[in-house]
Amino acid sequence: MGERGEKFEVIVVGAGPAGLSAAYLLAKAGVKVAVIERGDFPGSKNVMGGILYRQPTEEILPGFWRDAPLERHIVESQAWVLTEKAAFKAAHRHAAFGEEPYNAFSVQRARFDKWMGQKVREAGALVVPETVVESAIMDGEQVVGVQTGRPDGGLYADVVIAADGVNSLLAQSVGLREEIPADQVALAVKEIIALPREVIADRFQVTGDQGVTIELYADSTWGMVGSAFIYTNRDSLSVGCGALLSQLVERGVEPNDLLERLKAHPMVAPLLAGGETREYLAHLIPEGGLRGMPELSTHGMLVVGDAAMLGNSMHREGSNLAMISAKLAVETVLRAREAGDFSGRALSQYDRLMRESFIYKDLRKYRNMARFFESHPEFFALYPELLNEAAREMLTVDGKPKRRKQREIFWDAMRRRKPWTMARDFFGAWRSIA
Amino acid sequence: MKQLTLEQKLFLNGFRPDEESHLRIIDQEKCRRCELKQCTYVCPVKTYRWENDQITVFFEGCLECGACRIVCQECENLEWSYPRGGFGVNYRTG
Amino acid sequence: MQNQRWGEARPLAAALVFLIVVYAVMLNTVVCIKQVPDTTQVRIDPETNTLVREGIPAIINPFDLAAIAAGVRLKERYGGKCTMLSMGPPMAAEALQKALSFGADRAVLLSDRALVGSDTLATSAALAAAIRTMDGEEKVDVVLCGKQTIDGDTAQVGPGIATRLGFSQITYVGEIESVDAESRVLRARRILEGAEEVVEAPLPALLTVVKEIGEPRYASLPAVIEGLRASVPVWGIGDVGLSVEEVGLAGSPTQVRRVFAPPEREGGDIIAFDEGNPDRAANQLLDRLLADGVLEA
Repeated sequence: MGERGEKFEVIVVGAGPAGLSAAYLLAKAGVKVAVIERGDFPGSKNVMGGILYRQPTEEILPGFWRDAPLERHIVESQAWVLTEKAAFKAAHRHAAFGEEPYNAFSVQRARFDKWMGQKVREAGALVVPETVVESAIMDGEQVVGVQTGRPDGGLYADVVIAADGVNSLLAQSVGLREEIPADQVALAVKEIIALPREVIADRFQVTGDQGVTIELYADSTWGMVGSAFIYTNRDSLSVGCGALLSQLVERGVEPNDLLERLKAHPMVAPLLAGGETREYLAHLIPEGGLRGMPELSTHGMLVVGDAAMLGNSMHREGSNLAMISAKLAVETVLRAREAGDFSGRALSQYDRLMRESFIYKDLRKYRNMARFFESHPEFFALYPELLNEAAREMLTVDGKPKRRKQREIFWDAMRRRKPWTMARDFFGAWRSIA
Repeated sequence: MKQLTLEQKLFLNGFRPDEESHLRIIDQEKCRRCELKQCTYVCPVKTYRWENDQITVFFEGCLECGACRIVCQECENLEWSYPRGGFGVNYRTG
Repeated sequence: MQNQRWGEARPLAAALVFLIVVYAVMLNTVVCIKQVPDTTQVRIDPETNTLVREGIPAIINPFDLAAIAAGVRLKERYGGKCTMLSMGPPMAAEALQKALSFGADRAVLLSDRALVGSDTLATSAALAAAIRTMDGEEKVDVVLCGKQTIDGDTAQVGPGIATRLGFSQITYVGEIESVDAESRVLRARRILEGAEEVVEAPLPALLTVVKEIGEPRYASLPAVIEGLRASVPVWGIGDVGLSVEEVGLAGSPTQVRRVFAPPEREGGDIIAFDEGNPDRAANQLLDRLLADGVLEA
């Protein structure tokens, strides 16, 4: 062992949305901060479906959208409920979404985070790439630094912020987190599929830098709890799908097969025709909601973003929760720094701020959702089928009186699921998300 | 669009593989007794393959997602870590 | 027993170490490195025939990594100083910072708008001028280059520098066997196709190295941080005594006219071979060659 490593005020572990946000705000506040990232550069190991919301991002980087590397601003959001051969589609587009400062953007994390990493550096933080943090250095109960995988790899700090992602070995190493159960995490795979700009404009009916998101349910994940997505980038599409890891295990489904099946779906294939795959990515997504949320702070350490299992699958939110949790963590650190007290008690203010924030309220709202849908596979198979069959029946002109069609649809549904059970299903579903 | 095999897809990604694997099976005997062998199908890049009565780990194409770590936790038979800093997958898009 | 003998020999060993330090060669080494796009990830757009470089990470040319390793090892073995030199855009400073973390003493970036578009001739002229400038401050003994870059693949710049500086030149070096302090002769093993060759050359010498020479050690955390904090001095062409006409497009007789991907090869037909009747396959082949006009009747 060499001599004791350098001391910073704060060490941030991981240069993703949470870590970069924390480091940026700290550096701006004049705190001596280091970010340790295992990739070649911030972003090179980061994966996200691809939608970044403007408002929460501006809480960290006001006006970022004027010069950050963004793909498209989202003007339309679609939701499709798929069966093997059909799709029930809903869409919303608003002219306001096409106006500055916009609502959301499609982004590619490798580009965006690299840019944000540069901002963090300019703000005065030290960004150390290509270095893995393996564990926390303890002084009794107090976290006083991190041990990296490099020779003489110790680095010290008053506070360590664990922003090392969904697998957070760091939070686990100090006992803040237990192993993630397979039903509290989704495994998602994604492809970047290149298509010319004109083709994207044509197929998605957009002009300029406008973009569209499509969320696909039910048959898109072969009836497993999860969803799929198609997002438009500048010259490519992000196409991916994910399902609860527990369900993939149970059904013996290979993620790549799931993605290929989605790409070959008769409603999806035409959107991708002529495209060329550029990259294949995989990532775990926290789905445990409030249940999966670990302890957020201890003596000398705070946990933010995916490392804190913050994700809201209902609303496709993750990176915004990461950024806002980072902001609250920074508030806490700055106050602790003023008081010169980095004990667990001082840092527990972060837990309080989190509980008062929308993050906690939203996660609380959906705390039973994943569990409910996992135990009610009908919502990913039977009901989508009934919905699509009903639509088909009503739209087919065949001389049958409409009232008879309605009756047939009704009795078919009743035959396939008992009325009482169905009522309970929908009441339960409503309760789990209401 | 043209359908690619998993191998062809991995060829599109940037990797800098280390010399030694960052994933290590602790006891092959346990794998022999493992009924589901979840790692062999749940991994998005088929890192783990059941060959000649044992699990072979093709760590070079690992996307570092962590799914194997979770599915193997019951058996506690996988020593899982990230590749050394500077090694492993390098995404261009993310 | 062993230990005892070692105990007796200890003063002798100390004296030896002392002598080695005093008579150390003290090599002043310059390593030339280039930041290149990771060509394993570069694609060529089939429609425009241009390199698609967007999103492709920039890395230190892998052969130059070997040169860095060799340079640092020379310093550790013989004492002296190891300087990293790169020519490129301001962004290349990143590569130099990283090179510093492997154990180099200083880094210099040769960067100037006038250098844009330099071919191998102009590049070697510019790098030679920079090394000459360093030589003026303190005699340069060894220059190390990777055998070639992975983006240009010419293997011309190293030899070009040697020629301009009037240095001895050894290419494809897989091992530096020794540097003799008294005679100032460097002995190296060259790795050629199907053969190896041990050669000697008087210093100063320029070596181009192959990967067999080794990789840099995994840098320690303090070294990485030190590299990240280092500000790399940037030299313009004026600093190394060059004029605008000698470098860049003006000083480059070669120009790339077109970059293209070789057309995909079409799959051929296989003529079935019948064990008992090779003549039939031969006749079929002949007919086909005649029909396609490959052979004339």
